Amino acid sequence: MLNVKSPKTKQSADEKTDREHKLHLGRQLVAVGLHRDRQAFTEVYDYYAGRVKSFLLGKGMNEDTAEELMQEIMLIVWRRAESYDPSKAAASTWIFTIARNRRIDYLRGNSRIEVELDDELLESETPERDQAQLVLDAQNAKRLEQAIEALPIEQRQVLHLSYFRGKSHGAIAAWLDLPVGTVKSRIRLATQSVRAQLIDTDRDDIL
Amino acid sequence: MTAISHHISDETLQDYAAGTLNHELEVVIACHLTLCPACRSRSAMAEAFGGAELSGCTPSPTTTSAADLLNRLDDAADSYSTEPPESTKPVVSGDGINQVPMPLQRLLPTTLDKLEWKRLAPGIKQHNLSDRHRKEGAFKLLNLSPGVVLSKHTHHDRELTLVLQGSYQDEIGRFKAGDIADFGDDVMHQPVVDTDKPCIALIATMSPVRYSGMFGRIIQPFVGI
Ligand SMILES: [Zn+2]
Repeated sequence: MLNVKSPKTKQSADEKTDREHKLHLGRQLVAVGLHRDRQAFTEVYDYYAGRVKSFLLGKGMNEDTAEELMQEIMLIVWRRAESYDPSKAAASTWIFTIARNRRIDYLRGNSRIEVELDDELLESETPERDQAQLVLDAQNAKRLEQAIEALPIEQRQVLHLSYFRGKSHGAIAAWLDLPVGTVKSRIRLATQSVRAQLIDTDRDDIL
Repeated sequence: MTAISHHISDETLQDYAAGTLNHELEVVIACHLTLCPACRSRSAMAEAFGGAELSGCTPSPTTTSAADLLNRLDDAADSYSTEPPESTKPVVSGDGINQVPMPLQRLLPTTLDKLEWKRLAPGIKQHNLSDRHRKEGAFKLLNLSPGVVLSKHTHHDRELTLVLQGSYQDEIGRFKAGDIADFGDDVMHQPVVDTDKPCIALIATMSPVRYSGMFGRIIQPFVGI
């Protein structure tokens, strides 16, 4: 039912290699944006195309549609690579948002609604009490993944159903036959503990 | 903008990041995110969860290689070389100053101060933003006069309320411009407009609101704050 990897199955050397590889792919994505580098795109494609397809299949799409939509998504990655900013997000997050948005366009026929960055009402000043900002850049992506892997299985299951099976928290509750409040509290606990771990790790770096 | 004190819940931000909400709820969320840097940062983390799920998943076999894709791009020549046009800015017949975030302004025929309202009940006006049947949920602006008290009610399933102007108070607290009310069906509340200015709020639901009380049953099809 769930395709959740055990956190203990990987050697730390592998994890280091894996992390290096993902950072490398982030740099390759930047190279695609800067130089239309085909070799760099091929590496990004080889890693993400099959995963994007899994994401689409996981949401109940048939094989042919998923293959076709995956190609469209990877074309968007190619065309928009110059707008990827590794200081703002990991490559995986950037590609995830493109895949998510393209899937919504396809299923719904109207675009996902997001903040418009040139909105004159865009408030950029962060209140003082919220200044402990998280940095979710490419460097931090692996920490985030480790923090997620360290979550209790019932919290990871809720994340997986949400992002990969396309279920809202209400639908997750119905599917798992749990009260909505239980699902909400799992989401809140997962969010809080990952956030806390990322902030703690940042402090360790400063000390 | 004064400090925002009521924010989007973790579970709603997760649903938004995962892409499981409807268009109407997305509009309300994008409006709050425009006004609230704290929730924008939380939203970025919710999206990073999605990125981590993506890179941690098992890849499926694909029938197309990167070379196939790029070769096809060459064959199609210029048709892929330009970005699709950005969605066009709305023509606003007012004085050109946005009083509401763009995701909402795009849906309005004019600026907020020139908007036409339909009277529902004494002190209660609405501007409907949806052509859906009300059984499929509400999407509208509500304009409540000073002193208006709504019937006690709970919210069925999913409902978001974003205050755009003025304020109201209920059992949970005081909701001012920029504040969002994001509660499930476990909260019974009775909003009261608590200043001498009208309270204008944007409301979206997945399904209708349920009112208790007689007045509530009469206005139930129209109101949802
Ligand atoms: Zn907020």
